[in-house]
Order: sequence, then structure tokens, then C-alpha cells
Amino acid sequence: MGRLILKSVSRKFNNSFAVNDVNLEVNEGEFLCLLGPSGCGKTTVLRLAAGLDTPSNGEIFLDNKKITGANRECGFVFQEYALFPWRTVRGNIEFGPEVKGMQKEDVRQLSQHYIDLVGLTGFENHYPHELSGGMKQRVGIARAYANNPKLLLMDEPFGALDAQTRNIMQEELLRIWDKEHISALFVTHSVDEAVYLADRVVVMSARPGTVKEIFGINLPRPRVRTGPEANELRNSILKSLGAEIKKLMLQV
Amino acid sequence: MKLGSGKNGLIINIFSIVGFIFLWHVLIVLAREDIFNIPFMRLRDIPTPVETWNALVGSMFTRIYGPALTYGIINHVEASLIRVIQGGVLAFAVGVPLGIGMGYSKLIGNILNPMVEIVRNMPPMAWIPLAIFILVSGGSIFIVFIGMVFPIILNTIYGVKSTDPRLIDAAKTLGASGSGIVMKVVIPSALPSIVAGLRIGLGVGWMAIVAAEMVIRSPVGLGYFIWNMGDLGRYAEMVAGMIVIGVVGYFMNISILLFQKRFIKWAD
Repeated sequence: MGRLILKSVSRKFNNSFAVNDVNLEVNEGEFLCLLGPSGCGKTTVLRLAAGLDTPSNGEIFLDNKKITGANRECGFVFQEYALFPWRTVRGNIEFGPEVKGMQKEDVRQLSQHYIDLVGLTGFENHYPHELSGGMKQRVGIARAYANNPKLLLMDEPFGALDAQTRNIMQEELLRIWDKEHISALFVTHSVDEAVYLADRVVVMSARPGTVKEIFGINLPRPRVRTGPEANELRNSILKSLGAEIKKLMLQV
Repeated sequence: MKLGSGKNGLIINIFSIVGFIFLWHVLIVLAREDIFNIPFMRLRDIPTPVETWNALVGSMFTRIYGPALTYGIINHVEASLIRVIQGGVLAFAVGVPLGIGMGYSKLIGNILNPMVEIVRNMPPMAWIPLAIFILVSGGSIFIVFIGMVFPIILNTIYGVKSTDPRLIDAAKTLGASGSGIVMKVVIPSALPSIVAGLRIGLGVGWMAIVAAEMVIRSPVGLGYFIWNMGDLGRYAEMVAGMIVIGVVGYFMNISILLFQKRFIKWAD
């Protein structure tokens, strides 16, 4: 469950390709990081996978079902949280189950489970504007999980956080992901983040984005951020990514 | 603006009110004593604050003079308020759905925009002759409706259009679609704008009702009251009525602001 396949997917905006001929697979239960220079279409790939956008060419399958339109099988975690400001922490997490038409008591039980899981116990009735960035994204993760998705799509979820909070949130994400294991596609521009989190790291080329190179990260978790193997991986990924960034710089 | 804001705000506010009343009194007394007068103005005919206060107290409640009945100011306030509320409820019931439709659907927007853009530029007062002509009753309510409905429509459209597209995306990935998105995302997100439209509309409606009541005669209503008092040369009562209009309008505005603060906590 939770196997995502992109088959030669392209997306054109105004006659120019944002992403071109992307072939990608997220295996069952795998944590895949998508890494690339800015503007390479990482977010586009994610939006296509979520069904929020339709490919100009190619097809996307989740568990052999073709993706047409937004579907609740994918839990999306947004860069700037995208929480409903008029709903409390609990209300945000209950949005999906509510839309699904679940019984009130079941909804309540489910939301409490995820509030506890992401460590927001005691903050159930707070509004988003009363929370810190890290806490907001905990709500974002819980909200995605509460819909019981097969695949977690995350669009630079920790990009707006300070470095310390970011590290904590990475650990927290892995802790949560370990407890409720589903496939994950995680977009980031931080090599450190990718090496710390992912089973595999996909480096994308500069625009039009396509898969350039894939790195397997076979390090046991919890990982040591500064371990020699991690450093070595970071070096080779940076080299691969650096070449793309250089291309981008020449264009500017 | 709210009164009593900032350091010593309330004290300054009180001093300014007292100062204004004092200045008013001095100007009128000077004019009556022929010491000073603003050219081309008959300041001596304006009542002093004390005369106005006495007129206000004296005409606050209903009196019966022999066979004739004089309504008190509170009856006039009540009558005007009821008309504003009736017109306002109607404007809200029409304006909010229209605004949501026009803001959310390009087609509905394109269909209705020409009419709204032209009609909203006609002041409510311009409708008074037509209202008298075509409406058997409720002319004043109709004028309030005209005054209130456009601020509500425009603010609702604005609120709907400024819904964060990421919130709509979020709702989609959580399984919402069509009417679910409108009910659970677009309307709540537009709510602060809708309430702001209601607040602006209420201000316009309150002005419109006074004007309408001056023309569309009925035995009660603040507009009727001040017009009638002016006709009778009872300027103290007339000015008292004007001040009441201002005070009631102020409290209407404040009550919506309080409502906003109490029920739309998240909008800051």
C-alpha cells in the first residue's frame, strides 16, 4: 500500500516545461526525498501526485489506481502550514474525518489520538495564530495523518522554521512516521535534511525538472548527522546538486 | 475609531467632549449678546447645550396634550431602529448569497457585475421618489435595503476572492469538494469581510433611514422627528434629535465591533 508511480510525467505552464519526463517510484513504506535547485518543479511534482494539478503528459498511479483529481489517499503537508485559522487545533485535525462524514464520537477519538501522537496534548483548543511555527506544522502533520492516507506528501514542511526547531521537527517526524508507517514523498532544498530523513534521495535537474540522480541512504536510524557516512553522502549529493545550481546561475 | 484608546485616551476624550460643549455654549452666548458672530450665520438661533439637554429630557418620553399625542424620542429611535433592522436583515439575506456567488463563480460575477457597478453608484436618497411611487408601504425599509446591500455585496465578494488558495488546496486533499469547500472554507474565510460589510452597511443604512423618514412621512422615526421639530421652530428638540442619531449610530458600530472581537477571534 502507498506505492506511487510517475510515468514520464510532464507539466507545461505557458508553453514552457516546469517538469519534463519525470519517472519516479515511491515504494511501499519508503521515505523519499526530492531535492533540487529552486524552480526545478519539485512542488509541481508534489501537486501532481496529490491530484491538485494535472500532468500535461504522462500518468501517475497510486497503488495501481490512476490519479485524477484531488484524493484523500494522499495527506499533504504544506510549506506555510495552510491551517484553517478559524478552526482550533482539534478543529483542523478533524476537518478530513468531518468531511468524510464520520460519527462525532469517532472523529473526537481520532483527533485526540493524533493530537497526542504529535505532542499537542493540552493545546487542543488553541487557534493557529496562538501557536509557534513548529507547533503549527505538528498540526499540519496530524491533520494529514487523521485522514488515514496511504501516502504522505510534504512540501518543504520545515522550510519556514529556525535551524534548531527544524532539527527537532525532523526527529519528531521520524518518530511519528515510525509509529504510523506510510510511504512519504518529501520535498526539500536542504541536503542535510534529505540525508537525515530519507531512504532514497532523488536529485532533480534545473528547470525543466527531471530526475537526474538517485542516491540510496542505507544508514540505520536514528542517524548521526555528522557521521562519516552521512558526510560522504552529503558530499556526493552536493556535487550532483551543485552542477545543477551552476547551470541555473549561468542563466541568470 | 474606538474611544478611550492609548495612554490616557479616555481622559483626553472626556476633556475634548467637555471642551466642545463649552465652546458651543460660549459661541451661542456671544452671538446672542451681539459681541461676536460668525458672518452669514444666525448663531443666535442655535440652542445652547443646556437648552438642548432640557429639550432632550423633555421630549424623551411620550406625552399626551389633550387629544394630541406626541411621541417621545425613544419611540422615534425605536421606529427608526426597527426599520434599519428590517432593511438590514433583507440586505444581508440578499447581499451575502449574491456576494458569495459573484466572488466564487466567474460566470455569476460577469452576469451581475454590470448591474451592481451601476446601481451601487445611485445614492439611496435617489431612490426615495421611486420608492414613494411604487411601494405601497415599507418605503423607508427599502431605502435602508438599498443603502446596506451594496457594501455587503462588495465586502462579501472581496472576502470570497481573498480566500487563501492554499486553504482550498488543503481542503481538497482532505476530501472536500464543491459545496463542502464553499461551506467549510470560503464562507468562514470571508466571514470577517462579511461582518465588515455589515458594519459599513449599517452606517450607510442609518444615514439613509433618517433621510428617507424626512421625505416618506410617517408619524414616528428620527428623521421625521428632526424635520418636524425644524418645521415647528423647536430647534432645541431638533438638535437633540440630531445628537441622538449620532449617539445611536456610534453604539451600533461599537456593538458590531464587539461582536467581531468576541466571535471572530482568529482574524488578526
